[in-house]
Amino acid sequence: MSITRRLLGKAALGLAGAALLMQGTALAAERPAPFDKPGVKIALVRYLSTGDFFQAYLSGVEAQAKALGVDLRVLDSRQDAALQADMVDQAIALGVQGIIIQHGLTESMKDAAQRAVDAGIKVVAFDVNVENPKIPQIEQSDRDLARLALEQAVKDNGDSWKAGYVYVAGIAPLDRRNETWVDVKKKNAGISEVAMFGTLDNPIANSVANQARSVLQAHPDINVMFAPYDEFAKGVKIAVDEAGLNKKIKIYSADISTSDISAMREPDSAWAATAATNPAVVGQVSVRALAQLLAGEDPGHNVIVPPTLITQKELVDKDIKNMEDLSAKLPQFAHADVAMPAWMPNPNAK
Amino acid sequence: MMRDHAIRYGFIVLLVGLIAYFAIAADGFVSPQSAVFIFQSVAITGVLALGVTATLVVGGFDLSIGSVATSAMMAASYAMVVLEQNAVVAVIACLVIGVLVGLINGWLIVYMRVPDLLATLGMMFLLLGLQRIPTEGRSIATGMTMPDGSVANGKFSEAFLALGRHRIDFFIPNLIPVSVVVLVVLAVLIWFFLEYTRFGRMMYAVGSNERAAELAGAPVKAYKIWAYVISGVFASIGGILLAARLGRGDIASGNNLLLDAVAAALIGYAVLGAAKPNAFGTAVGAVFVGVLLQGLTMMNAPYYTQDFVKGAVLVVALVFTFALSGRGRK
Repeated sequence: MSITRRLLGKAALGLAGAALLMQGTALAAERPAPFDKPGVKIALVRYLSTGDFFQAYLSGVEAQAKALGVDLRVLDSRQDAALQADMVDQAIALGVQGIIIQHGLTESMKDAAQRAVDAGIKVVAFDVNVENPKIPQIEQSDRDLARLALEQAVKDNGDSWKAGYVYVAGIAPLDRRNETWVDVKKKNAGISEVAMFGTLDNPIANSVANQARSVLQAHPDINVMFAPYDEFAKGVKIAVDEAGLNKKIKIYSADISTSDISAMREPDSAWAATAATNPAVVGQVSVRALAQLLAGEDPGHNVIVPPTLITQKELVDKDIKNMEDLSAKLPQFAHADVAMPAWMPNPNAK
Repeated sequence: MMRDHAIRYGFIVLLVGLIAYFAIAADGFVSPQSAVFIFQSVAITGVLALGVTATLVVGGFDLSIGSVATSAMMAASYAMVVLEQNAVVAVIACLVIGVLVGLINGWLIVYMRVPDLLATLGMMFLLLGLQRIPTEGRSIATGMTMPDGSVANGKFSEAFLALGRHRIDFFIPNLIPVSVVVLVVLAVLIWFFLEYTRFGRMMYAVGSNERAAELAGAPVKAYKIWAYVISGVFASIGGILLAARLGRGDIASGNNLLLDAVAAALIGYAVLGAAKPNAFGTAVGAVFVGVLLQGLTMMNAPYYTQDFVKGAVLVVALVFTFALSGRGRK
């Protein structure tokens, strides 16, 4: 009973807060319908939710929803594909005007997304292809992520090096990053991949560290490690440190978190650079694209959030210690000018 | 007679053969560093495996060890990074968690009569959730933002990190990591405890025939609870080593730690034809898996072939064990 009451209280507070915000914002009236009035309801239907990335994504969705003054419902299926499809129906029954589908499986979400569209609801999808021309796809560009990191590797090490590569096939973002790696290898004959390894056994960093140690033993000539996922990079860094090779090997990766930043900032850290998209920005863009649809505008079918290159030097020079510093001191990381019509409130504006 | 020998020494011969094969096939496999590294890579699962051996001895099972280890890792990180405590406090916090979880598991199984698999399965889920509550699902690292918006400024203390990273001179400078020493010391301790103390032998008695042990006047319940406490403490030590190696509190289920540890303990049944859980066998089993993974990775074998080989070894080990136990009791 007490829980229900507390929840009700929270909901009431949230509504009151939203109403207050709407009154306080003079500009609100200039927004196109339906955002000229409070009371727009949207739902976020999630497939993946545990981990730093998804936490940050959610915070971005919440921030943009708050800035727009819309009522956000979060439905979390916790990696249950069937439940996620049911949750779309649940959201339809709740009477929401817009739905964001966050991850999931094409097979299970395609029909559910179509049902929502048939019910007159606007839908956007993040990182799951629902194969529907009416549904914009929000993407962080994995190919660009890999490209930025590898360009930096070529800049630092020339175009001739021996690489260790960490990869697990069958994971969509890693597969897309792999395409770029294959491409870069083809174009640069001097880059040779002497070892490929990788595992998703968790804790991933620990398992990858074990593998990387063996690889370094077998191939002492490696001077660059390409680990296009930060958990991989953490594992490789542990192995490189344990082998005492941190001055000889450079690590290039993708993604970023507070703990990655501290690992990159360590004195003589082997982790040279990473390319990352701010998950919070991806969350904001998801809501903005949906809002554009609701306002009758077209955000385009592929809404791509561009990544940022983050080097060790920048982190040290600008004294960036965590994700907040990163957003504050690298403006291109904090905000993407994607799905930003003039009327759209910017949640990052202070 | 031949078959007896085959079963008694078969697994050791297999291990030696494997090492010989990798020595030829993989460059740089034979070196003191390589040997030390194999021990380092199995140190964490090895410690967990030794703990679960204690529960296997009393005829039980502990599915919660993986999540005890990751919970201990989170607790150590939380103590140092958020509460800004020193290494000693962090280690004690972990050990307390291990003891508490062991006591609760034992209590559930002995007094609440919940079957061991179910009780420890419940505990596993409970800990998976619990370890995320203090940080609302975030991983713990210096400089992280807490749910209330403040920034955690504590650091992993150097003394604590040394548990995972410091190396002791042994003929070659900086050769043996502390985690390997911990593994070896714990292995010798639990081996001596189970094989040569009255307490340990009574645990075997409880495991082979609980009713007989009870009728003989043994405090069966106490022995069983102790077994889970040992398992919990060993798992939390594994968690300490994990935290010291990673230098951060990672959100992780620890399921792979559990599976690898159980595999090592089960492979251990086959070592020297013991056909029962035993600490020496568990240690050999863990090293066996470590040798396999090191060799296969050095030969660029992808992770799924490694899982396949691990599974195949386990099946062969179980055949050794159960083929033997069928004949051994004639």
